[in-house]
Amino acid sequence: MAQMKYFYELTVSSSPHAHSPITTQTIMRDVLIALLPALAGSVYFFGLRALVVTMVSAAAAMFFEWAYRKMMKLDPTAYDLSAVVTGVLLAFVCPPTIPYWCIIVGDFFAIIVVKQLFGGIGQNFVNPALAGRAFMFSWPVLMSTWVKVGAEHAAGVFSTVDAVTAATPLAAMHQGQLPDASVMDMFLGNIGGSLGETSALLLLVGFAYLLVRKVITPRIPLAYIGTVAVIAFLFPQGNDRMTWMAAQLFSGGLFLGAIFMATDYVTSPVTKLGQVVFGIGCGVLTMLIRCFGGYNEGVSYAILVMNACVVLLDKIGRPVKFGAPKKEAARS
Amino acid sequence: MKTESTFKYVLRLSLTLLLITAVVAGLLAGVNAITKPRIEAAKAEKTTKALSAVIPDADTAKQLEQLPEGTQIVAAVYESDTAYAVQVTPGGFDNVITMMVGVSKEGKVLGISIISHTETAGLGAVAAAQNAKGEAFRSQFAGQGGDLAVTKDGGTIDALTGATITSRAVTAGVNAAVACVEKLG
Amino acid sequence: MNFRKQFHEGLLTKNPVLVQLLGMCSVLAITTSLFNGLGMGLSVTVILICSNVLISALRRVIPSQIRIAAYIVIIAGFVTIVDLLLQAFVPALSESLGVFIPLIVVNCIILGRAEAFASKNGVLASAVDGLCQGIGYTVALCIMCIIREFLGAGTFGGGILNGGEGIRIIPEGIPAMQMVMPVGGFLTLGFVIAGSQWLMKRMERKQKEKEAAEV
Repeated sequence: MAQMKYFYELTVSSSPHAHSPITTQTIMRDVLIALLPALAGSVYFFGLRALVVTMVSAAAAMFFEWAYRKMMKLDPTAYDLSAVVTGVLLAFVCPPTIPYWCIIVGDFFAIIVVKQLFGGIGQNFVNPALAGRAFMFSWPVLMSTWVKVGAEHAAGVFSTVDAVTAATPLAAMHQGQLPDASVMDMFLGNIGGSLGETSALLLLVGFAYLLVRKVITPRIPLAYIGTVAVIAFLFPQGNDRMTWMAAQLFSGGLFLGAIFMATDYVTSPVTKLGQVVFGIGCGVLTMLIRCFGGYNEGVSYAILVMNACVVLLDKIGRPVKFGAPKKEAARS
Repeated sequence: MKTESTFKYVLRLSLTLLLITAVVAGLLAGVNAITKPRIEAAKAEKTTKALSAVIPDADTAKQLEQLPEGTQIVAAVYESDTAYAVQVTPGGFDNVITMMVGVSKEGKVLGISIISHTETAGLGAVAAAQNAKGEAFRSQFAGQGGDLAVTKDGGTIDALTGATITSRAVTAGVNAAVACVEKLG
Repeated sequence: MNFRKQFHEGLLTKNPVLVQLLGMCSVLAITTSLFNGLGMGLSVTVILICSNVLISALRRVIPSQIRIAAYIVIIAGFVTIVDLLLQAFVPALSESLGVFIPLIVVNCIILGRAEAFASKNGVLASAVDGLCQGIGYTVALCIMCIIREFLGAGTFGGGILNGGEGIRIIPEGIPAMQMVMPVGGFLTLGFVIAGSQWLMKRMERKQKEKEAAEV
């Protein structure tokens, strides 16, 4: 009879029965923590405006997410922090001098058009932050005005007129020449570029944190960065091989893209083989755009193009069903 | 349905199609005859307009039948009493830029005018834009001789913001035009 | 013949652009200013009416085995006539639309209406069909033009009003240039189709409510 007592306390429910403490919110919180070193670096390199731009972008993204879900009477998702991650990433791929209104329009496009109109989190087929950046090229001059690195050249929080503009290392490399900046400067982030992309070192710190917390696997970033390294090493365009390779790796948005954008769960393949092919594809496209394309930088478009291929990449490398005959497994 | 021999069948189909085609062709010939003078007048007017933008006495300009040798991107040369107008087609960012360069007989650039292009709106397209920025860019060339280059390449021409390739292309077009005039003597 | 029904179909429920999704090439490419949209729409409407009338008149003469060849010859003839007339009398429009005028030959709307309607119906009905479908095409084009021009260039009526400059609504430097680029064409088309679907659903519901009330 004693056992009957426990019997009454059982609840009957359908699967899944195993719950994990990991939620979208905890994952996104980890991503935000991993982005903090790079944010600190950008404030050091580009002044306080970098922080304000990032905060404005994050706040705008969260507001659009909240407002859309509220207006359409859908489940609120603004507090899962995914919109905040989009907002921060969008700020990271813009020049530090970007006007606030412009980045808010970018957030609107990223959250409303790219993410929510396709059904919200988990349904968008391309990375919202990168699509937002692509749309912001509506203002090409604003999006390709680069400031010289260093707090004394930085744009003010309210006005950008004091900023000293300069070309980024990528501009020289697009012409097939090595940039003026040293490899060490490029690795540390002491160069001009988008707000959060310049410091490979600080992005690697974030990468290590994400790996330790098991938020991402290293497959996509390694395949991506490795492909770029190999291509740069094989085709140095008449420059010193090692220096050219280092410049290609550290100068642009490669680390930011490979670690934080190509690994987005929603827009990357789920199979291991698919992820490796995805990374290689991103690498090849990045180098093709950098060497032969019209733009200096190819990371964002490479990832966007590969995002669109994910539906196909998900078909390769599927695990075989246990006990299924080989032929049938291949067909399914 | 009554049967028809293969020969008759093919003949019927061919003749019907021939008839339709002939009528349409006749109609087109008629319309062409009516519109041809007007189209040619419009084209000539367009050329004169492009010429008068770069040389002062455009009404006296005549197209040269023979182009000087070794001028690759020169499409046409017009000579007036005081100057030449050279139509050049340098390769721009996206496709060729068709532009008219006025060059005095002494080999000095009088002015440039971009006739057609497919450069990026907002960046390269500023080169052809009828606004202050476009005017400022184009007016840099007036009074210059040949062998120009943008400041990035160590020259004197200020490139358009974010459109170095377009600026280089326009500069190359001007250089080609001046070189062509020098060859003409 | 039911003129009201044909008009309703051409404008909304069987709109060539928004429902049948025909002739997308020109729709996406040239809808950057009101002038382009009106010019393209009217050109297509004229060609559509002429080809519909002629094909309908000849529908018993043209053997079905060679009908496609015959239709294309007739359509190409009318397109070339319009092309020549535009070059002669409206050179600005001809230049602005460029290759898209000759490309009307392969615009699916024209051949589609010839095959689906004109080859099976009388001359008058075919003319009305050409007019209604043409109006539907023109209206859809103009809506897209107005949206894209407003957001992408900040003006209204570019090419016609204010000496061709259009009336400036948003100051220069602010409009989102991507909206007049190809990507803006796809975005705008998506939103306009969504809008027309919403409108149709609403009208259908109203109709049903009205019927229910009558019963």
